[in-house]
Amino acid sequence: MGTNGHLYEVKDATRSFRRGDTTIMAVDSVDLNIAPGEFVALEGPSGSGKTTLLQLLGALDRPSSGRVFFDGRDLAELGDNDLAALRLRSFGFVFQQFNLIPTLSALENVEARLAPTGVGSDELRERSLAVLGEVGLAERASHLPAHLSGGEQQRVAIARALVVEPTVILADEPTGNLDSANGADIVDRLANLAAQRGATVIVATHDAELASRAPRRLGMRDGRLIAAAA
Amino acid sequence: MVRSDRVFYLSYLKNELLRRRARTILTVLGLAVGVGLVIAITSLSRGLDQAQRNALNPLSSIGTDLTVTRTVQQQQNGFFGGGGPGGGGGFGGGNEIIQANQSVLTDLSKLGKPGTHFTHDFFLPGTQLTFPASQAAQISKLSGVAEVSTGLMLLAEHQEGTVPKIVATFKTGGQRLNVSGRLSPPTQAELAQMQACFAKVRAAQGGSGGGSTTPGGGQGQGGGGFSQGGGGNGRPRDFGAFAKCLPARLRRFRRTITTPQQTLKQVLSPPQTNIKSSAYAIGGVDQTKPDIGLITPSQVVAGRYFSAAGGREALIGTGYAATHTLKVGSTLTLNGTPFTVVGIVQPPLGGQTADVYLPLKQLQTLAHEPGLANVALVRAVNGNSVGKVQSEITQNLGGASVASAKQVADRISGSLVDASNLAHNLGLVIAIVVAAAAFLLAIVLTLSSVGKRVRELGTLKALGWSQRLVVRQVVGESLAQGIVGGALGIVIGLVAIEGVRLWGPTLTAHSAGGGSSFFGLGSVASRAASQVVSLHAPVSAELIVFGLLLAVVGGLVAGAAGAFRAARLRPADALRTVE
Repeated sequence: MGTNGHLYEVKDATRSFRRGDTTIMAVDSVDLNIAPGEFVALEGPSGSGKTTLLQLLGALDRPSSGRVFFDGRDLAELGDNDLAALRLRSFGFVFQQFNLIPTLSALENVEARLAPTGVGSDELRERSLAVLGEVGLAERASHLPAHLSGGEQQRVAIARALVVEPTVILADEPTGNLDSANGADIVDRLANLAAQRGATVIVATHDAELASRAPRRLGMRDGRLIAAAA
Repeated sequence: MVRSDRVFYLSYLKNELLRRRARTILTVLGLAVGVGLVIAITSLSRGLDQAQRNALNPLSSIGTDLTVTRTVQQQQNGFFGGGGPGGGGGFGGGNEIIQANQSVLTDLSKLGKPGTHFTHDFFLPGTQLTFPASQAAQISKLSGVAEVSTGLMLLAEHQEGTVPKIVATFKTGGQRLNVSGRLSPPTQAELAQMQACFAKVRAAQGGSGGGSTTPGGGQGQGGGGFSQGGGGNGRPRDFGAFAKCLPARLRRFRRTITTPQQTLKQVLSPPQTNIKSSAYAIGGVDQTKPDIGLITPSQVVAGRYFSAAGGREALIGTGYAATHTLKVGSTLTLNGTPFTVVGIVQPPLGGQTADVYLPLKQLQTLAHEPGLANVALVRAVNGNSVGKVQSEITQNLGGASVASAKQVADRISGSLVDASNLAHNLGLVIAIVVAAAAFLLAIVLTLSSVGKRVRELGTLKALGWSQRLVVRQVVGESLAQGIVGGALGIVIGLVAIEGVRLWGPTLTAHSAGGGSSFFGLGSVASRAASQVVSLHAPVSAELIVFGLLLAVVGGLVAGAAGAFRAARLRPADALRTVE
């Protein structure tokens, strides 16, 4: 655990992008602490900087200034390989577009996540099938993403995120491409599975209903954290 | 234990290639066509090279770098160019050549009895003057010379036909000649003896002679006086008896001089006969040095090379053998000497080529050129010293004409040369262009594939795939395409080569006649000749490996280009990309 028992300590983190002559402050001077096992909703409209903040938290990106401590380690000081290893072991991503590998079956998509950890081929198959079973897709394991519904694809993505038993699950608009029934199902599964594993869940969403399921809600506007909507 | 990642990555690779079939097939076909063409063109080029080594590089095929001949120096203005036989008298070295070649003027009288059949071969040195074979030793002493052999290249004129009636016989002599001359008068003693003798004869004949006339009494009388005057006034009945009274000195002159009889044979105006002439070239080969010579064992296409002893054996050129229906074991009779044909040879083009080859000593004997040669074949110690040796020989041997392998090869033209140049120049360019195009296609397709997979590769990075794993995946896919493309390319190449073999194109090589067609005899040394070479494309294991390697390299290059792009992807950017 990091200092003061926090999993995350974000200190004055800023992430800016240059678009021609203008500089866009995607994340602007954010200070944030997250405790282990928390379920946090990050609310805000498109372009408010939710995705960028998630990427900073998921070690996919580095802040232009400020610091992001994860488990007491300054992510800015880690090299590419260390970041890759950290992503592999500690983080599970769920994307709005599902981001499944289109040429791989549901099972193989899950295996793609577990394979780099170096487990044996039998264990790889067993663990991947088991987690697919947990999201209710054991029978669809050999199907390609194109043959799965949106909800099923996102469940595969959740299985993929969970298969390595990550510390944190970072979900970026996980229900954005789903109808409300499927969206609710996804959120429930995410919340339940994370709770079973004691994983921290950070969900970025513009869906107030989804956000309302989270014990802790953070609002974002123009890259800054604001008081959460009621 | 099998590491799961290997299995997984291979199955990912397989899925990626199989499920993006169109792109994979295009890449594989591009590489395959490239490799196939490179294999086909390279092996064709090799086939041409082999043909060229045999046909277009005549000297090296007989173990020779330089040929040394002694030829008449031509004037700069080509003064000798069109001179007919006998037309070049008085042109310095030309005289020697004319003399050397004069024996072709057939002395028909020596051929046999008129009406009988004859065959005869005349051997002429053509435009190459002879020199003692021992002079080759001089060349072998020059630095940079590895080996020297000598040869005798002669233009042979084969004549065959019926001996014509060409000789008229004349009998001369037998005429009586009157000779007048002045003799010194008889001495007193002789006179007295004569008178005594006359008196005795007269007495014996009855004294009809009358008088005591002294025969020839007047001094200075012509000899005619003796012939008639023996009798003086009287008519001597027996001149013989009186004649005997003359001293022996005078008696001789009284005899009739009879010119000696002789039979003269004279050549009449040129006879019309059925004599047929045909020219061929004959070469004397130093058979003791089989690795260098006018002909070497490597040109033997049937039978064998000369035995080291150099007996009455002959090697026959393929063309001459065909036109004269000679084969191994046939007998070739040259001026009564039988030679056994021991081998059929394919003489090198453009060099010192002949139709018939004999051991050097045999030809020297046959052509009455004992110990003489007219070409020296020189091999340099190595390729670099050829130029040096050439200039040394030119400096040290006056009047020597030295031809290098390249100069000889340059005289050869024809479709084989064109094709060979084509294969070497254009063919190489085509092979490079095709290979480059195949590489480029593979690179473009790989880059476009990586471009389309930015989000996928970004996702993999987000899932914790290291840079190395992502690059390995991209390169692996390209490599697999390269291997499959290479294998298919080898098949395409082999099919193309087989097609060429079935189609069986032939190519010809011509050797232009040598510089001088001197006195109409032609140059024995470098006669115009041509050789038909059927094109084949030898395939070797190395070539197949090379083709596969080329495809693998093509795949790797494409993969590296794709991997470079993939490696530069920052996962956050990659994930932002909207498909």
